[in-house]
Amino acid sequence: MDVLFSPVILFFVLGALAAFARSDLSIPEPLSKALSLYLMCAIGLKGGILVADNGFTWEMVLAAAAGLLLSLLIPIMAFAVLRSFGKLDRINAAAVAAHYGSVSVVTFITGNQILTSMDMAPAGYMIAVLALMETPAIIVGLYLARQGNNSDVQQKGDLFRETVLNGSVVLLTGSFIIGLIIGKEGFEPVAPVFQTGFTGLLCLFLLDMGLLAARRLRNAQTLTFRLVSLGIAFPIFNGLLGSIIGASLGFDAGTTTALALLAASASYIAVPAAIRLALPKADAGLYLAMSLAITFPFNIVVGIPLFTSISIFMVQLWL
Amino acid sequence: MTKRKKLEILVDTPLLKRIRDLSKQAGVYGYTLYPTFGGEGEAGRWIDDQVTGGAGSKILYVTISEAEIADRFLETLTPLLEEYGLMITVSNVDVLLAKND
Repeated sequence: MDVLFSPVILFFVLGALAAFARSDLSIPEPLSKALSLYLMCAIGLKGGILVADNGFTWEMVLAAAAGLLLSLLIPIMAFAVLRSFGKLDRINAAAVAAHYGSVSVVTFITGNQILTSMDMAPAGYMIAVLALMETPAIIVGLYLARQGNNSDVQQKGDLFRETVLNGSVVLLTGSFIIGLIIGKEGFEPVAPVFQTGFTGLLCLFLLDMGLLAARRLRNAQTLTFRLVSLGIAFPIFNGLLGSIIGASLGFDAGTTTALALLAASASYIAVPAAIRLALPKADAGLYLAMSLAITFPFNIVVGIPLFTSISIFMVQLWL
Repeated sequence: MTKRKKLEILVDTPLLKRIRDLSKQAGVYGYTLYPTFGGEGEAGRWIDDQVTGGAGSKILYVTISEAEIADRFLETLTPLLEEYGLMITVSNVDVLLAKND
């Protein structure tokens, strides 16, 4: 329950309420973009430094394998449900499924911050797992979309740049490597920027995300009751799956929660642009509304405390 | 004054590169890009949103060329109008060109 009164969550709720009340509150777009770059840079550095401090372990390889497995499996399962229960056509089902197989950096950062404040900080290598899980689901989604009709998929060389060299993937991976190289001592001079101000700037960013998510929901035209239900059911099922896998692999409760959050989250940074490019026939309003306006707020307000409790229980069960 | 055709194409930001590639194939090399803040159309309201990788954002591509080249470019764009959600306006303009002696 304390999690709900964390300042980052409260700022998110404030943003959402302001947008629903049609307030003119807004964060300038360049500032919002700069904040997202700052957060990705800070979290990448933090992960790299933790790994440099603890060294490479087998746990890290297991976590990477688990993350990869989840990002390949989730879109396939999601696709089947979106086609049958969600009543979506093949292209839209594949586009939405790709979003659920990928991850939300902001959900992870928020969860990471809350877990750290509860003395349950996840292992640093989870940042690498986060970066690793960004793109495989896009490839699975495109494969699913291609079945039966190749002409619906735009396969061009620039798709590679849009997926593998996507700005968020490059920044996360790059700052993780920088963190590995500089270690704790090298981080000290830049700590006032990347550590001291981190939570405050995360609050500001989540205020903007609250505004963005609520406005996206208000303007969503193609969302049906079935799709809204799936936008909530997917994170619950996927998070539970992540939690079971994390606990069965012997991870601590914080790392298990982080894996659950990665599995539960849906991308709205790296995947939408790549899917818009590769599947122009898919409805961008639909996949952005499901991932950003339904699943993201659910994970921030309900998912983080829920998966923390489930993961603590699962880890105790496996001990 | 020289007679030219001006094309203004409102395109989703991730698809801009496709438009640029097609314009070059048609022989159009010069263009200017304008940012947009948001708007509303048949598909609903949209806002400039850089956080989501620009997937929901749009950009205005403007080019001025000879009528023949502009028509060639428009022919390649017509089949993509619905799929890419393009909005294209065409106008006849007078351009003041520097005189080459």
